[in-house]
Amino acid sequence: MNKEYIIIAFTENQVGVLNRITIAYLRRKINIESLKVSETSMKGISMFVISAFTTEQTVQKLARAINNIVEVIQVSYYTPDELITQEIALYKISSKFFDKGGRIDSVSRELGARMIEISPGYVVMEKTGTREEIEELRNRLERQGVLQEFTRSGSVVLHRDSLGDILGFEQTKE
Amino acid sequence: MANKTRISGSDALLKSLMAEGTDVIFGYPGGQVIPLYDRLYDYKDKITHILTRHEQGAAHAAQGYARATGKVGVCISTSGPGATNLLTGIADAMLDSTPLVCITGQVPSSILGTDAFQEADIVSMSMPITKWNYQVTTASEIASAVAKAFYIARSGRPGPVLIDITKNAQVEEVDFAYRPCTGLRSYNPKPKMNCPTSEVVELINASKRPLILAGQGVKLAGAEQALIEFAEIGNIPVATTLMGISAIPNSHPLFVGNLGMHGNVAPNEMTQEADLLIAVGMRFSDRITGAIKDYAPNAKIIHIDIDPAELGKNLRCDIPVHADALDALEAFKVGLKYVERKEWFAFAKEKAEIEKENVKGFCGEARDGFITMSQVIQKLAEVEEANAVIVTDVGQNQMFSARYSKFNQTRSFITSGGLGTMGFGLPAAMGAKVGVPEREVVAVLGDGGFQMTMQELGTIMQNKIGVKILVLNNSYLGMVRQWQQLFFNSRYSFTELENPDFAKIAAAYNIPSKRIIKPEELESALREMKEAKGSYFLEVAVFPQENVFPMVPAGASLSNLLMSED
Repeated sequence: MNKEYIIIAFTENQVGVLNRITIAYLRRKINIESLKVSETSMKGISMFVISAFTTEQTVQKLARAINNIVEVIQVSYYTPDELITQEIALYKISSKFFDKGGRIDSVSRELGARMIEISPGYVVMEKTGTREEIEELRNRLERQGVLQEFTRSGSVVLHRDSLGDILGFEQTKE
Repeated sequence: MANKTRISGSDALLKSLMAEGTDVIFGYPGGQVIPLYDRLYDYKDKITHILTRHEQGAAHAAQGYARATGKVGVCISTSGPGATNLLTGIADAMLDSTPLVCITGQVPSSILGTDAFQEADIVSMSMPITKWNYQVTTASEIASAVAKAFYIARSGRPGPVLIDITKNAQVEEVDFAYRPCTGLRSYNPKPKMNCPTSEVVELINASKRPLILAGQGVKLAGAEQALIEFAEIGNIPVATTLMGISAIPNSHPLFVGNLGMHGNVAPNEMTQEADLLIAVGMRFSDRITGAIKDYAPNAKIIHIDIDPAELGKNLRCDIPVHADALDALEAFKVGLKYVERKEWFAFAKEKAEIEKENVKGFCGEARDGFITMSQVIQKLAEVEEANAVIVTDVGQNQMFSARYSKFNQTRSFITSGGLGTMGFGLPAAMGAKVGVPEREVVAVLGDGGFQMTMQELGTIMQNKIGVKILVLNNSYLGMVRQWQQLFFNSRYSFTELENPDFAKIAAAYNIPSKRIIKPEELESALREMKEAKGSYFLEVAVFPQENVFPMVPAGASLSNLLMSED
């Protein structure tokens, strides 16, 4: 059964690694829902967080294929409930949303968002939360016809226990 | 560490290759590698450069060289079309775990990405079919890139790597010092065995019907002798995959034949009856397993492979052993008991008899006055006394060669197993002969595959490569024709070939040749070919409608193998 799986890979920060990883998805015709790459606390080591809908059997093979990439240090896969996941989103909201009264700061509090910029035509809000929370606000603003633009980061994640002993990788790569 | 000297990037590349033990390069010059070729001119006494007639030929020749010698094959091409022409060979090497270092020229780094003349993004294109690749844009990166390339190509599960070198990096000067690569922190090619050895050995000792499936990993690990000892100690029958052929001599009493689609009846039926499969350096490809859900229904599976991604990839796996084949076989020898298994060996014998009685061609007879392909290969094996290196193309010529060739030594059967590349045979045989000049090397080709890369006859002529060329001419793309006959109501859609006079082509290249058509000419022609000092071209006109049997139809279970057309 297709479910969301999140692959977390630690790699050398080198040119081409991203391509090699996405090729592993592409050749199995799996669409990547979200992808985030950033440097870890260890200099020269990148962390990939890749979310996609697939089966457990496939994600297992995918993780092994990614692990076979020379520059990849460690790979594991998770379901969303195993991870603490947060995303950031920015919403550009038409000023008419605020015409009906209500101060901007109280509206933003109500939405669980933070105000970033105010212009005559629009207000930009920022919200941090789970994907569901972010989508919920997006849907609400869209229904009211006031969402002008919207952008979302990939997931920032932490495992409830640990994402693996990345610091000990120099001894083994399994 | 060597003393630093100031030299050009091209010199740095050639010195780096020499430091890795390269003495043969297969290549083809072009605009973006002229500086490199200019320097190569001064290395003629140290590096033999074989000028092929097409870059695909260079890649396949490097593969043949690597497969015959166990060394890393090296090929060079220019940028753009030269580089893209290497791709088929690289893909082939990737699937067949062949160590290659491919060097491509590239446009100067200042104009990368501008659609410059003969610019192709070969790094992106080769990414899915290389184990590793890298673009060098400054001369200072050359030595370390080559060191890494060789280390990655030959360690762990071997494979092709590609280094793309911009023209400016070839001409710039650099302080050169070579340091071989001995390890990378993100890459562990030599896993420590961590499986319960005694548990595995007990399982083997308790098995009534075990079968060893030996793949190419046995050869890559240099574990041929260990395999034989392991099988002998435990008294366990051995079957080989297509890529594993020649890892154990055909004459060995424990050898029961080849696995898979056109393998032998005994090992395929044994797979279905076995209570234990010991898979060594093989990957359960669909050509081996047939319908995976019906495969080996009664067996526990011990799967030994150096590539952890193979364990459980295609087939369930009861005991995954992530290890080098040699390490695993040595470890499992300890405590292994000799078990008689009379009934099991009787089963093997009975199935071998069934094959002999039911499969046309098994006894190498002529048909309707025509020579048959099975007859040619069996006679060739007899004439060569199991000592030759047999390099095949793809299709019926390949399957007949796999079925009826005989081998005494390892690394003697070279074929395109995973990718199934028509056109592989002739250039790969050429490369193999360059690698093992003291051995007899025979290219067994069909009339179709031969014509895909027959321009390499020029390479054979110019470099006086003493490879023997045997073309089995049935005027068909025989394997496709066979499928059309069996599964598409004999509708021979575009599989019939009108061929040129091959003898004239061989003559144009000054290669002595013969064409035979009568069964009584066969043996003397094969002997004449064997005795020829240099290259020799033998065309055998064969029975056009011969099919390879037994056959497991694509997607069918191993239990449903066909013995004949009827």
